[in-house]
Amino acid sequence: MPAAAPHAMQQLLDQLGINWELLISQAVNFALLLIVLRIFVYKPLLKLLRDRRARIAEGLMKADEADRRLHEVDMIGKERMKEAENKAVAILKRTEHDARELEERLLGEIKRKETEESAQAAARLKVQQEESRRAMEKEAAVLVRAAIVRTVELAPEAIDDALIARAVKESRT
Amino acid sequence: MLNISLRAETIFHIGTWPITNAVLLAFIAVLILATVAIILRRKLAMTPGMLQNVSEVIVEGALSLMDDVLGTREKSERYFPLVFTIFIFVITSNYLGLLPGVSSIMVGHGANAVPLLRSPASDLNFTLAVALIAVTTVNIFATIIFGIKDRISVFLNFKGPIQLFVGLLELLSEFARIISFTFRLFGNVFAGEVLLAIMALLAPYLVPLPFMFLEVFVGFIQAFIFAMLTLVFIELAVTPHEGEEAGH
Repeated sequence: MPAAAPHAMQQLLDQLGINWELLISQAVNFALLLIVLRIFVYKPLLKLLRDRRARIAEGLMKADEADRRLHEVDMIGKERMKEAENKAVAILKRTEHDARELEERLLGEIKRKETEESAQAAARLKVQQEESRRAMEKEAAVLVRAAIVRTVELAPEAIDDALIARAVKESRT
Repeated sequence: MLNISLRAETIFHIGTWPITNAVLLAFIAVLILATVAIILRRKLAMTPGMLQNVSEVIVEGALSLMDDVLGTREKSERYFPLVFTIFIFVITSNYLGLLPGVSSIMVGHGANAVPLLRSPASDLNFTLAVALIAVTTVNIFATIIFGIKDRISVFLNFKGPIQLFVGLLELLSEFARIISFTFRLFGNVFAGEVLLAIMALLAPYLVPLPFMFLEVFVGFIQAFIFAMLTLVFIELAVTPHEGEEAGH
């Protein structure tokens, strides 16, 4: 009975409720869902997750790079600080040296000026002394003349110039 | 009294095309998931909101699980749509089948009264359709990778009697997979429905509650098993067998 097997199969499928129309309906339901989810969820969501993963990786890489650069900048900064400190010390030393030189120079100058001024003062003093002496000599001459005139009032003509000169010489001593 | 039927009941026709209560609920599941998908698509942003956060956690978790089986993220992303759609469709259908009103809201009168909605997986057409799609797609994936000649040679190998026998066993195992996929899911969900109906009939208050929790668990586990088995079959199909590797 070759026709009996398909018939029995059909009967079994009927009893189980399996029907090709319903099978297709359910398959279409599934296919519809797969298409909708693929278009609206899987593609965009997986792309977004990939993009975000790439961004995170890029961000981490950049953060590492930034850390490295920061470290480099820090090192450069420290080197510059050290250089600046060295320069500052050198400048201080040079300034100290210059100041010392300036001090010495100024002191020398002051000493020289002092010497000059004291020399000038001595010269001025000498001139003044000379002037005073001359004035005194003049006055003394006048006084001596007057004294001699008084002394020899009666005969002023007899006053000997040599006597006057002698008197003046004596007054100097 | 309790009316238990293996067959899903036809509730209306579109032209001559019958629409059963199981097809209707499966379609409602598709509509709900499609709506959520469209809302999610509109709200997708680099800084995620709550819905996107939840979706990303689920998708990342599923992808990590697939990575463990398939080995690489690239492979996981390639086969993710099929595996995840099976999971989400089956679990949504199972949970919709547990809602109040399903199997209890009737259409028709008297002896012709039938439930308006029925859990899709308690109809063999649903489980068989998903099983057929899963097994067929797995074979398509393998054919894309190895070529049609190599794929056929897995089932029909005339190099020797042992190879021929192994090939025929492989062919038989494909059908066995379809049957096991179909009846495992159908059996679990249908048995759960019957169990809940009987418990509700015997003790309507509180007593069915633990069984409801059991069905929530079973609904998840069955969807997970279906998706995981599909994933394992994909891995088996797309991984070169010993001796073939040199050729590919």
